[in-house]
Amino acid sequence: MAAEKSNKAARGTVQCDNSSFNLLKANDFVADTIRKFVAEKQILLVNITSSAGSGKTTLMQETARRLSSKIKMKVLVGDLETERDADRIKQAGVEALQIVTGGICHLEAQMVWQAMEQIDLEGVELLFVENVGNLVCPSSFDLGEDFRVTLLASTEGDDKPKKYPKMFYTSDLMLVSKADLLPYIPFSVEAAIQDARDVNPDIEALQISSTSGEGIDEWCSWLEEKVKLKKESESMPV
Amino acid sequence: MHEISLVRNIFRTLEAEFEKDELEKLSQIDLKVGLLSNVEPILMQNAFEAVTQDEQRFQKAELQVNVVPIIIKCELCGDESEVKNYSFKCSNGHPTKNIIQGEELTIERVHFHE
Repeated sequence: MAAEKSNKAARGTVQCDNSSFNLLKANDFVADTIRKFVAEKQILLVNITSSAGSGKTTLMQETARRLSSKIKMKVLVGDLETERDADRIKQAGVEALQIVTGGICHLEAQMVWQAMEQIDLEGVELLFVENVGNLVCPSSFDLGEDFRVTLLASTEGDDKPKKYPKMFYTSDLMLVSKADLLPYIPFSVEAAIQDARDVNPDIEALQISSTSGEGIDEWCSWLEEKVKLKKESESMPV
Repeated sequence: MHEISLVRNIFRTLEAEFEKDELEKLSQIDLKVGLLSNVEPILMQNAFEAVTQDEQRFQKAELQVNVVPIIIKCELCGDESEVKNYSFKCSNGHPTKNIIQGEELTIERVHFHE
């Protein structure tokens, strides 16, 4: 893109065109670069989002244990501070790289792209990006992912899809996590799914527990199916 | 928190689009933010004030945040309606994600001193 300034006479009021003055333009540009890269390499890129403490890392560990012998996977994990989550995921047997955002409440495409340059992606079939725990800010930042998966823990309450609509609007799959606790708390899975579908008619939903194993087979099948479809897709040259 | 990043993006965008001496005459920035863009006008104003502490050349400018509602156009019946309570259904009850307004996050207009 030429670094040419718009020749607008800078006086009075200047109407701005939507594309150059889009505030997420820089992020979206890098997200498109990532999208083209993973299309060429036929890597399935999944962005995992949720509130803090909804079980994203535990699910990554469980997914690694179940699938890493069948699917070559790696994980990028974002947090404000510490390498703890990457260490936990590595203990489950897959390579994980921590992205420390240093106080930023979400991952931006540029951070993911830089992290992707630091790991060997040769032969990788599934790349998870575990986002910063936050149902608000990460929803606005496209990371070039094929699918966005949002966890809603039973302990958070079933009213979250309506309270944080953008996240559920932009997600492809909602995982109702910590399902083993459902008998002890007032959480209606039906109400949560109904609200999520009111915000996003296309959202899929699964009920899972990384502790009891409930729904993990279905989750793994969902992933295997998407990985298979990605590998069968045309390798798109960058 | 991401309002800080967005305010920085406003400044970087203006610097890319206008000459430095032009920006010295900047008096007001009008943002158009869709209801679905997750931007809270008050937080945006606070972030604007915080960032202009560091970037003093923008301190004289005012920020105006205009929030626009979410409008959908039903693919089935062509109905255009405003989304209320984040229920993505047209007035005839058909679910749809065909948004024609409400995701904007752009600089709509900028005003300069004459």
